[in-house]
Amino acid sequence: MKAFDLVIIGGGPAGIAAAATAASHGLKVALIDERPTLGGQIYKRVGPGFTVKKASEVGKDYYLGEKLIAELDNLKVDIYFETLVATIEQSEVVVIQNGKSAERLSFRKLLISPGAYDRPVVFPGWTLPGVITAGAAQSLVKTQRVAPGSRIFFAGSGPLALAFPAQLSGYGANIVGIIEAAPRPGILKSIQIALSVLGNFDLLRDAAKYQLHLISNRIPMHYRRIIVRANGKNRVESVTHARVDKNWQVIPGTEKTVEVDALCIGYGFFPSVELFRLLGCELGYEESRGGTVVKLNEWGATSVANVFGAGDGTGISGSYVAIARGRLAALKIAAELGKISESSLSKLAAGFRKTLNRRVKFQSAINRAYEIKSGIYDLADDETIICRCESVKLESILPSLESTIDPSVVKAYTRCGMGLCQGRNCQRQISALIAKKQNIPISEITQATPRFPTKPIKLGQIADASIRDEKYFVDAE
Amino acid sequence: MLNSDFLAGYLSQSENFEELPKQSDVVIIGGGLLGTALSYYLATAGVEVTLLERNDLNREASGTNAGSFHFQIALHQLTENMTAADDKRLADETKLMLDAAKLWDEIEKELDADLGVHFTGGFMVAETQEEFQVLRDKQRIENVAGLETHVLTGNEMREFAPYLAPDLSGIAFCPREGHANPLLVGPTYAYRAHELGAKIRTNCEVIQIEQITGISGYRFKIHTSRGTILCNRVVNASGAWTAELSSQLGLNLPMALSGLHVNVTEPREFFLHSMVQHIGRRLTLKQTANNTFIIGGGWPSRAEKFPLRYSNIWESAAGNAAVAVRVLPMLKDVQLVRVWSGVWAYTNDFKPILGESEKIPGYHIAMVPTGFTLGPMVSKMLAEYMTQPGTQNLLPKEFHVDR
Repeated sequence: MKAFDLVIIGGGPAGIAAAATAASHGLKVALIDERPTLGGQIYKRVGPGFTVKKASEVGKDYYLGEKLIAELDNLKVDIYFETLVATIEQSEVVVIQNGKSAERLSFRKLLISPGAYDRPVVFPGWTLPGVITAGAAQSLVKTQRVAPGSRIFFAGSGPLALAFPAQLSGYGANIVGIIEAAPRPGILKSIQIALSVLGNFDLLRDAAKYQLHLISNRIPMHYRRIIVRANGKNRVESVTHARVDKNWQVIPGTEKTVEVDALCIGYGFFPSVELFRLLGCELGYEESRGGTVVKLNEWGATSVANVFGAGDGTGISGSYVAIARGRLAALKIAAELGKISESSLSKLAAGFRKTLNRRVKFQSAINRAYEIKSGIYDLADDETIICRCESVKLESILPSLESTIDPSVVKAYTRCGMGLCQGRNCQRQISALIAKKQNIPISEITQATPRFPTKPIKLGQIADASIRDEKYFVDAE
Repeated sequence: MLNSDFLAGYLSQSENFEELPKQSDVVIIGGGLLGTALSYYLATAGVEVTLLERNDLNREASGTNAGSFHFQIALHQLTENMTAADDKRLADETKLMLDAAKLWDEIEKELDADLGVHFTGGFMVAETQEEFQVLRDKQRIENVAGLETHVLTGNEMREFAPYLAPDLSGIAFCPREGHANPLLVGPTYAYRAHELGAKIRTNCEVIQIEQITGISGYRFKIHTSRGTILCNRVVNASGAWTAELSSQLGLNLPMALSGLHVNVTEPREFFLHSMVQHIGRRLTLKQTANNTFIIGGGWPSRAEKFPLRYSNIWESAAGNAAVAVRVLPMLKDVQLVRVWSGVWAYTNDFKPILGESEKIPGYHIAMVPTGFTLGPMVSKMLAEYMTQPGTQNLLPKEFHVDR
């Protein structure tokens, strides 16, 4: 078994920054990522066989990512690419590298920075081919230079709801329309954001740039409208959207239909809290940061000893916060392991803490401005599939909601959440249905018992024939 | 006929959230398979019965097992040096299994419900020659007791079960084995009991069982999270928590708890009609109606305090997977999607604890280690004992509560 001072799970902004900082202070570091390259979603690198000829075309994030990843160049960090974390037990991470058998990495400290995934939004037609998440569209473009369709429609909310289509349009894709569920930013909201923006000019400039791009390319953009339906037989052929009230409830009679061949859905993100739940870390609920979030102290320590968290996987806060959080956690870990003194810790941390506070302020203003409203959970009709892994429709779920507030009971009776994704797609929707039916806040609905593996793994890779049961006979004491 | 959609809606609906009755002839503690089945059999005999469940019905071992009928003699019934006495014991245990099989034959008709009961046979595999000899020995006992099993080896085995590893030393096949849907059996019993007048109350936790005397004539006062209820007779059917609750009354039950690990895979095209067990190693394996594979067989999980569920151990997943892949090689490319763990309550001799305490008249226990297979039958046996005074001999001595 390989032993490390620090094992970091997730090679996005938080994980890379933490790895570089920790290694530069002499810690023996392992960095684990599912993908064949570092960068996470925001700094995702181009796929194999692709090269970047004109870096200006791929955007500012590309530069920032390359710069961050380059920090690792002259440092000793063991990077495990294409590696899944199956589970974590005591002070060991059980990892499975592509095609190989399970291996254990022991750690003195653990940093979990798994990132976030696109919020699944359930509406009639959401499982049709051609309906993809904005994140998936972004990955297609970033790694393969492929646009998801020839008539692309964007439905979403939040600052990235503008950024994605603007980026895509910049690459020459044909965007036929964008809808944003929140109202057009009014004077009050603009002032709120502007007040928090001190030192965040680049972020505001980005937003303005995206908006300008959309206007100058005459891409229709509508506020206060939400996706209602994706229509089509074997794939999406058109989308219907409608005006919403302040809770994002659809206003009847305001529907409009547009012909499209691709629909990108971008209503924000869910933190990937599976590993934190498995370890029993204390969690909270903040709708504006993606729902279930991880409670961290000022250094990023969770409630479980020796386990730290950073990045969007602990609550959506963006890449700048992720980097600052990653560095602060790494410094604290270096101090706890005796590599730096307490006094140099506070000196080294000061700069990052300043950045962190500034960015957190901005991000919370943005998150509040674009908070997800309850109407997002009310789009399904009886025939809509809620659990796409097990093909369970809303009408099959409704009877079980009569009698329980426990999603595990709904799961047991309907198979909702029992499939390959293990509820990543449907669990929040089930909680929302229970919350509405029983008239309790969604934050109070319990979640299914956390179990490994966090992602599906072949039994052949898990099997370990050296582990023996007591041969033959149970001992009757 | 009842179907699962209906039951999902019933679960705790109807009158479950209504107030507790002030008194009841019988109070059953625990809404698992034994408790719900007992409430049904008592209600059919016209007994006034109230069932108390602290959570929802069927949520612990009764609803988290694989729903298999284990009739063949299995690993846990064997001892190190088998004697003639062991042969006699195994023959008795096999006869009990045959009685259970008869009940499962009739249960869908009895309850007028589709419970997913199928008799699709079961394998018991052997890897070594030593294990193969055990298959032959157990077949002799089973056949004398009246349970049909066949032992196959070599080409005959490979032809009969071509998907099993070709180098196994042999297999036993029992056509009588099969399965039912564990999510439906308990709740259906509860529903039918409710139709017959039994009162089912969920989200009602028993805090204390108080023995009383006095003019009321009742022997027990049950204190619950939803008030008190007086009763003549109590049945503790609280599964893994049976001993904990009984210790309040000074009873020391000869039982222990263990967490059991289960691996669940993604679905594959259906081909495995029969459950597979191993005579020498910890393995039970079946392909479900949803085409997934459920793999278990007695690998441990980590104890946690209620309401936390027992947590899983990686070694159990890895060791269990290795045995499964060894026996059914195609599994090596099938993905594990989740694990789970139930709590298993067992006795040192794997016999049920069933009947009325002599120390505390009126206090009954219904607990059985191989709960799903035998649960309905032992509940029926206890109901017969409780409704036919003077039938002390209905329950086998070795099941005795005060043993």
